Amino acid sequence: MEGTQQFGFQTAHRIGLLVLSILLLALVLELVRRGRLKERYALLWLAAAGASFLIGIFPVLIEKLATVFQVQYLTVFYGVSFLFLIGIVLGFSVIISRLSERNRELAQELALLAHRVKHLEKRDDRDSQSIDSDSSRSE
Amino acid sequence: MVHNREKGPRVRYRVLIIIPAYNEAETVAGVINHLHQEAPDCDIVVIDDGSQDDTAKVVASLDGVELIVLPYNLGIGGAMQTGFKYAFRNGYDIAVQCDADGQHPPEQVQLLVQHVEKGTADLIIGSRYVAASSYTPSMPRRVGKSILSRLIDALIGSGITDTTSGFRAVNRKALSLFARHYPEDYPEPETLVILHKAGLKAAEVPVEMRPRLGGATSINPKNAAYYMVKVGLAIFVDAFRKFTHTAEEP
Repeated sequence: MEGTQQFGFQTAHRIGLLVLSILLLALVLELVRRGRLKERYALLWLAAAGASFLIGIFPVLIEKLATVFQVQYLTVFYGVSFLFLIGIVLGFSVIISRLSERNRELAQELALLAHRVKHLEKRDDRDSQSIDSDSSRSE
Repeated sequence: MVHNREKGPRVRYRVLIIIPAYNEAETVAGVINHLHQEAPDCDIVVIDDGSQDDTAKVVASLDGVELIVLPYNLGIGGAMQTGFKYAFRNGYDIAVQCDADGQHPPEQVQLLVQHVEKGTADLIIGSRYVAASSYTPSMPRRVGKSILSRLIDALIGSGITDTTSGFRAVNRKALSLFARHYPEDYPEPETLVILHKAGLKAAEVPVEMRPRLGGATSINPKNAAYYMVKVGLAIFVDAFRKFTHTAEEP
């Protein structure tokens, strides 16, 4: 039947997928080795490389989905990749937001501490004089 | 400490005026001098928000003012929150926000403080629209601000007309809240929602604003749309969050 044929994986695509996943694996490992990529984020990409490697070896995983949705296997492949990327990018946005929040707190604490240190140094310098300290009341 | 402010002895409130300053070297000294005259009982802290000009140098050369220098620009929200943290940790009862550009009238600081002392509300806004003021912002600004104000009014039923005014005073409850939760940029409207969600109240009193002495407004037509969307999203999301004011360390 012509209908079922288009759900089957072509050999060329399988080979391409296997090569790409191996390249991705090598790239990720190298980045980790050089310390440019943290292990916790590398795991995500290793999982992606692993998944596409598995699909290259067992195309039936994708072909099943293609049959269910009655679309070409490439469409399924793109769909899955797209969802994966959306997930990763959203995750990164969350991470960036958290980092910038921490960054703000850190800057504020630093500024407050720097101010306090200056005050304490000044008080040290002229400790015979009584300075109207700003912390005397809160203690 | 007992202090005779009016008739009879009463506890003196410790008041801190917080001046967030970003590249305001031209005007900040004048504002501080003016505040010293008009509000001599109040302590003053300038939060230099990573200015590239001589703001920090100018302030450091003045007497009777504390200077906190942020290592880089955090935006008005981050700067104000630094001031609230400072006020909270140093045991201040009342904090007043006053801009460094000379727009906010120093002679009316006491008016805001008196209302907070009286307990009119937890946050008192110096409003540009209530009676006694001749402030007329540009058309698009007016429209944008009135949409925002209406949105906020619909959300929290505050009856506040000037939700964007940065001339404000808060009591210790509100400043403990703001030390913890404070929006990043264009913070003023959203703070009202946060305040409301924390069970605190806001009120406004009319003040006469003047044109800024120098520097540039943070809101231009280019980012006005971003402003509206950002603040709109923030107050919408805040409606589903919880905020608490406590005496704990923020």
